[in-house]
Amino acid sequence: MTAPTHEDRENAKETLAYIRRTMESASTFTAVSGWGLVAVGAVGLLAAWLAWSGNRDADLRVWIPAAVVSVVLGIAFNVAKARRTEVPIWSGAIRRLAWVMTPTLAVGALLTFAVAAEGAWALLPGTWLAIYGAGVIAGAEFSVRAIRWMGVMFLALGAVALFRPEFGLELLAAGFGGVHVVIGLDIVFRHGG
Amino acid sequence: MAGSIVTEDLDRLVHERIRLGIVSALAAEDGMSFADLKHLLKTTDGNLSVHARKLEEAGYIKVSKGFEDRKPRTEYRLTARGRRALESYLEQMEAILSEARDALERS
Repeated sequence: MTAPTHEDRENAKETLAYIRRTMESASTFTAVSGWGLVAVGAVGLLAAWLAWSGNRDADLRVWIPAAVVSVVLGIAFNVAKARRTEVPIWSGAIRRLAWVMTPTLAVGALLTFAVAAEGAWALLPGTWLAIYGAGVIAGAEFSVRAIRWMGVMFLALGAVALFRPEFGLELLAAGFGGVHVVIGLDIVFRHGG
Repeated sequence: MAGSIVTEDLDRLVHERIRLGIVSALAAEDGMSFADLKHLLKTTDGNLSVHARKLEEAGYIKVSKGFEDRKPRTEYRLTARGRRALESYLEQMEAILSEARDALERS
């Protein structure tokens, strides 16, 4: 009895890696939590309302806490869904998503302070929407298609907001509120929660 | 066991890359749509449906056709037989690796 050839061994290794990769992406495919997006959308709407009543579109006292609460809610809902669907929380797709979203959010924060320091408040809504959209599109490579559309919508809203800053607050409400809620509900109904 | 026999013993139905992908994906996530599988395996409509049909004919997967938002939706599930086929395929792969390891230790 001869042992498997070197080639057999390499093939077997590669095949096992392929199976593992496929199983990982399949199970994390719908790991993004629809209810999480709905909750983040609700925070967005609340923040837009607070900014509107305070008469300052890009009021950092409103939007920075809103962003922090949204990130926390997003993580909490996704962890809960991963537990419920028995997917490893720190699986391949989630790890890649974190690698995409963390630098995106960091750049967003940096630009926010730089733009605010220059006093160009009117540019903030468009900056936030466009950067978030770009990050979501990149992250969507590893998830359901609805997420990619969400990113495209944010990018489009951001583009409009950059050149028509007078609609900044409306566009912020439409994006961080409306788009999150709509896409979130779509995922809830199509991919279970 | 000669090299050629090692690979001849394998379940040809599961060995092909796209079919192995379908079976692996369904083992992890029961009930995936045609569109999701296509996106996940990065393949074409034609390729996916040909391979899915072969697996269906072998009784490895079950196909259900329904509607969602008035659009046709095809959903795939792994059968018990399909799961067993994947498990024995995995065992064969692991056997190849452990035999290779044994050979290494002997040499």
